[in-house]
Amino acid sequence: MSGLSTHPLVQLKIRPQFRSKFSRKSVTIYARIDNSQTSQDQQQELNLSVLRFTFGIPGLDESYLPRWIGYGFGSLLLLNHFLGSNSATSPPQLRTEALGLSLAAFSIALPFFGRFLKGATLVDQPALHQGAEQIFVMSENISNTQKEDLAWATYVLLRNTNTIAVLISIQGELCVRGYWSTPDNLSKTQLLDWFKRQIENIGLFDLKETLYFPQISESGLWEMLTKGTRSLLVEPVIQGIGRSTNEMEKTEDFVLLASSIGYAYNDKDRAWIRAVANKFAGSH
Amino acid sequence: MEAGTFLHLHAIPWNPKRKASLPNFRRFVRASSNSQARYRGPKPYRNLVADWVSNNDDTVRTFPIFVGGASLLAVLFNRAASGIAPVADASSSQSRADLLTLGLAVTNILTGLVWLTIRPKSISPVNPQGVECRIISSSLPDVVVSELLWVWESLSAVTCCRSLVAVYDSICILQIGMAAESPNDGEALPVDAAKLMQGSLFQGVMKSGAQSYLANLSLYPGRSELPFFPKNTQAVILQPLGDRGIVIIGGDTIRGFTTSDQAWITFIGEKLDATLGKYVINNPLAVQDRV
Repeated sequence: MSGLSTHPLVQLKIRPQFRSKFSRKSVTIYARIDNSQTSQDQQQELNLSVLRFTFGIPGLDESYLPRWIGYGFGSLLLLNHFLGSNSATSPPQLRTEALGLSLAAFSIALPFFGRFLKGATLVDQPALHQGAEQIFVMSENISNTQKEDLAWATYVLLRNTNTIAVLISIQGELCVRGYWSTPDNLSKTQLLDWFKRQIENIGLFDLKETLYFPQISESGLWEMLTKGTRSLLVEPVIQGIGRSTNEMEKTEDFVLLASSIGYAYNDKDRAWIRAVANKFAGSH
Repeated sequence: MEAGTFLHLHAIPWNPKRKASLPNFRRFVRASSNSQARYRGPKPYRNLVADWVSNNDDTVRTFPIFVGGASLLAVLFNRAASGIAPVADASSSQSRADLLTLGLAVTNILTGLVWLTIRPKSISPVNPQGVECRIISSSLPDVVVSELLWVWESLSAVTCCRSLVAVYDSICILQIGMAAESPNDGEALPVDAAKLMQGSLFQGVMKSGAQSYLANLSLYPGRSELPFFPKNTQAVILQPLGDRGIVIIGGDTIRGFTTSDQAWITFIGEKLDATLGKYVINNPLAVQDRV
């Protein structure tokens, strides 16, 4: 297997085929329906009518443009109010300014709502790995088959989702991979014990449903996560699916994923993560 | 941090500065026989905004247009009703404020238009016409069988996959899901592995060694090489298993497999190839049994 690379795979490439300029005085808009069935387009899930303003600067997300315009014009409105005229502000101007500031606040909030629309793309943010070490440790007390499965599962979760750190716990045995915030100079066995203690302290037991923290603040959530962690997903592995539910099934097994970007896991990602977690259900 | 997160943080009920080691968080009482070990950490709150936006997708997309349009009219009406001359210059404070507000209104209208145009086109799935089948080669070890069944359960749960066929070492080891109906006995049409391997689809995939995605199966003449799939299968992915086999996945929606699905299927194919290669070395595979 190749080395770790944590580039997110899901990127819907919406190729801007037209650049529209707009000024305050006149707006020119063109729209084309792109229905071509080339092999590249087959990979696109969306069938787009093309209308997209772009500066053409790679890495710059134009969906945040309303927010920048909101800040800019809102500041100019305030500036105009305080420095604009020597006489007292007239009621019509006050009305306009109130409307303008409300619009500015609305524009600032627009990208936040736009993120939740269907078909919204996720913009890359650089992973912050300050003070974090990339590790790969696995318990020894497991079969070779299970070791292979764990190695493959952790690898594929790191490659195929926006994940920087993954931890799988099956019947108390761990597989930890990626960027974690761990104490220095610990041996492999000591590291595994340290992680087990962390899990006990947090109390990651008996999870009945998926835990998803899509927006973690800078102060962090748990000690073992790196400072740059912004999303966290914990998927329980339900053992004994289909058995009778007379006795309470205790769930100790889980798959934990951490990401350096907020809202890192969409519905499709979570479905695939659940599928990988199910691989370990009933595996012993 | 973006301003959007600033709005978000206010809704979080738990204290983000709290360390997990301190027993200062909510306890959850669960009716379990052994209540010693239970999850004690913070619980994520339901993102009501995200749910509301997802559920009212169409309304939200048009909302900025209405807001921008109404504001535009309000500015013009305000200017007219206040008796100010309709001159678009920046000489007076009022005019400057009007122009800035107009600019914001236009921004909102354009954002609404962009949101409308990038709305994903919804394509309805087509129910495959055929019979359900579940045929697994009897000579496979349990490990391989459970891995194959896991692949089927994952694909059918997560993607639009409705049919799955796996051919390895010139034997069909798996045929599961919806299959074309055999004209003779009404059962599933079996896979003729030899004929499949002579066809252009199989040869092409083996030659390239890469996955092949037929997003709209009706456009491809190679459709005739997959008679075991229901006639109205909409999309097909052919994933090679190394150089010894192939997995063919049939879906019920045109372009139903996303880029993410394709990537996952590639990795699953590699895993399956490794498992099969390990357990099926030099063991001739027997003819399949119907399960």
